[in-house]
Amino acid sequence: MKISTKGRYGLRALVDLAVNVSGQPVPLTAIAARQRMSVNYLEQVFGQLRRGGILQSTKGAGGGYSLSRDPSCITVREILEVLEGPFCITDADRDGREDKISRAVRALLWEEIDRRTACLLEEKTLNDLIKKEADPDNAGKQVHAETDA
Amino acid sequence: MKISTKGVYAMEIVADLALHAGEEQKESLGNIARRRGLSEKYLERIIKALKEKGIVESVRGARGGYRLLVPPEQLTARMVLQAVEGPLAPVGCLTGETDCQMDCNACPTRPLWQEMWDCILDAADQVTVAHILAETKREEKRGIDRTEQI
Repeated sequence: MKISTKGRYGLRALVDLAVNVSGQPVPLTAIAARQRMSVNYLEQVFGQLRRGGILQSTKGAGGGYSLSRDPSCITVREILEVLEGPFCITDADRDGREDKISRAVRALLWEEIDRRTACLLEEKTLNDLIKKEADPDNAGKQVHAETDA
Repeated sequence: MKISTKGVYAMEIVADLALHAGEEQKESLGNIARRRGLSEKYLERIIKALKEKGIVESVRGARGGYRLLVPPEQLTARMVLQAVEGPLAPVGCLTGETDCQMDCNACPTRPLWQEMWDCILDAADQVTVAHILAETKREEKRGIDRTEQI
């Protein structure tokens, strides 16, 4: 798992969508502006999330994206796996040359790290992230816009 | 970040050293390199990082080599990995490597990344080289038990 830019930005954009939805689909351009991301980039990311069953899209005027399910039913693990594949702390290729030491390290360390992080990511839902975003200390829904204060 | 081959091999090298250091508590670069299937040059780079953090030291002389400075029971995976791979943060913004130009304190995902980082560090903190060695012995025993059953 290197959580790449795609995972980081995708997750943030999803939180933005979840916070700013109110019965209507949210246009991509609005999210891109608030989160300071390029529209093209966000299109790619949201396309992937749509194909992965996390988002739905409606075209045309008044169109945009919406969540396919309640945010409390979408885990962070699912989101990141759609964007990045299953979490694994190392991709290192040993050319298949394994011995008792490499196997011991894998069993006790790499697999354990992967297990624990998968567990953590499975426990967190999009709703958990929204709650942080909608904190009354933040400036209402449209956080992350240009701070004009 | 993902752990690279450097981190993977560093773990195996310290386990190898602990396993083979023998009575004189040292092992030569050549032997380690041969067993791990690594070039001595590559091995040297990893060993250098481990030396800098006081995990191994070099033993001079004709039959010199390297020895572990930290007993296997105290040498955690976290110590070894941070020596060769740095902070082990899952995303760059935790260590200031990347900057998405947002206020980190207001970022809804930052607490998640922080928790993930803690999770990785915790897991790495709980595995020692002694555990690795014990596991290799368990594997040997499983092999012997199987042979005896035949």
